[in-house]
Amino acid sequence: MPEIAVERLSKRYGETLAVDDLSFTVEAGRVTGFLGPNGSGKSTTLRALLGLIRPTSGHALVLGRPFHELANPVQTVGASLDASDVHPGRTGRSHLRTLSAAAGLPNSRVDEVLDMTELTPARDRRVKGYSMGMRQRLALAAALLGDPKILMLDEPANGLDPQGMRWLRDILVALAGEGRAVLISSHVLSEVEQTVDSVVVIGAGRLVMQGSLQDLIAGDQRPALVRSPRRDELRELLEQTGASATVDGRSDRMLVHHASLEDIGLLAAKHGIPVFELTRAVSTLEDRFLELTGEGGNVR
Amino acid sequence: MRILRSEWLKAISVPTAWILLGTMVLIEALAAGLVTGLVDVKELRGRDPASLLIGTPLSTVLIFTLGALLATNEYRHGTANQTFVITPRRERVIVAKLAVGLVIGVVSALLYITVNAGLALSILSNRGVPVDGDLAVNIYSGVGVGIVLGCVFGVALGALLRNQVLAIVVGLVLFLLRGVVALFIGTTVGKFFPGEALLALQGTPTNENLLSQTDAGLVLAATCLALAIAGVAATRYREIT
Repeated sequence: MPEIAVERLSKRYGETLAVDDLSFTVEAGRVTGFLGPNGSGKSTTLRALLGLIRPTSGHALVLGRPFHELANPVQTVGASLDASDVHPGRTGRSHLRTLSAAAGLPNSRVDEVLDMTELTPARDRRVKGYSMGMRQRLALAAALLGDPKILMLDEPANGLDPQGMRWLRDILVALAGEGRAVLISSHVLSEVEQTVDSVVVIGAGRLVMQGSLQDLIAGDQRPALVRSPRRDELRELLEQTGASATVDGRSDRMLVHHASLEDIGLLAAKHGIPVFELTRAVSTLEDRFLELTGEGGNVR
Repeated sequence: MRILRSEWLKAISVPTAWILLGTMVLIEALAAGLVTGLVDVKELRGRDPASLLIGTPLSTVLIFTLGALLATNEYRHGTANQTFVITPRRERVIVAKLAVGLVIGVVSALLYITVNAGLALSILSNRGVPVDGDLAVNIYSGVGVGIVLGCVFGVALGALLRNQVLAIVVGLVLFLLRGVVALFIGTTVGKFFPGEALLALQGTPTNENLLSQTDAGLVLAATCLALAIAGVAATRYREIT
């Protein structure tokens, strides 16, 4: 049984269909990236999983049950939906103590999670004086209070500096290594691409793809960048095979679509055409992500 | 018990709660001290004792606001997300908030009575102004009950409306626009409204258009109970977005 199972989930707010027949699963021992542009339905899905909103149809299940039916929700799921969800007048420690008291946990657990998130030196400062990075750490500390089997974090990398990103990456990978299921949402793939093992990509509330990070990369359709002194001759040959090419002014470069690097190389060799460069056009995984989700075109 | 402890910690861990309580104490000390200490003794003897002993309705308003903050802070600062993830049975959270509101109301009422009665009665005694003991007990117990119910009223209204500004404005209108309701809909029905009931509860100079002190307490308590039930139901079924 998967730790998290979203089954044909839909959520409608008036005329807006925020989540549309969405299904995916999250397994233990992995960091799963829940990716999609802003407004694609990620937060709505997480809220449905946490029982904060009711699905219009379908199911959002944790360990096979709706959240409110869990025997011990605190030790099952730790969640952070927004790092700003804290009263600015409380200190970091008093914020966590209000939560640990509700969960029936000892105060010593508060000190433990403060240590884990490296917030101990700031524990008695009011949260209004915290930086965004510190608030993210406090949100993670709150999620870790019950030592849960499952972590759900909404945009945990928001506002983190490079050092904070590395820290987050290390701690999430370590937590998944302990056998926990970690689900982190993001609209910026580069924030999580070094952290996640698998991805669930959504756009306009619908599933775009679910698979490993490699699956996401494997479907790459970026054009090939070719440099040749006999560019136009090679272009004609490629177009005869069904590929298409766009030339780059008067230079020796062109971008070739619908042809593999291998096919281009073999064709050039067969006709004795010298090739100075043959590579995928410079692009990032981010482009692939945007390509899949419609480059924001699906954003409501 | 653990939810109750959590809600108590929430209440006492924000500076606003202490500021509101401190303001109430200061206002009551000033009101009691200035009225009984500065007014001419002859005039004091001629005045209705109730008008000397009652501080200001502002105390009830401050404690009502404190109660409303207990409930609405969860939504204003987004802590409702964590609260209802840790305690999915939301009605327990609201019941705990109401209980904490009751305790804070009692503490506030005791503070009020200690400060106001302590100052006013000792100054009046020193200045040779007689005060009817039974009347004083009657007045202070009425005001105390009003403060307690005011706090619970705030929690219940906040739980129902969840918007902080809206809850406080609606509460202020209900409490402070005394007489306006009665003016528009008539005293027969108007006297049952919170502002009128609170006025009657404080035992202010006899007004035949108001309920008796006991009836006013019962009406205000029933209003709090109705609001609390509505607040629990609304919280249970609403979506936390």
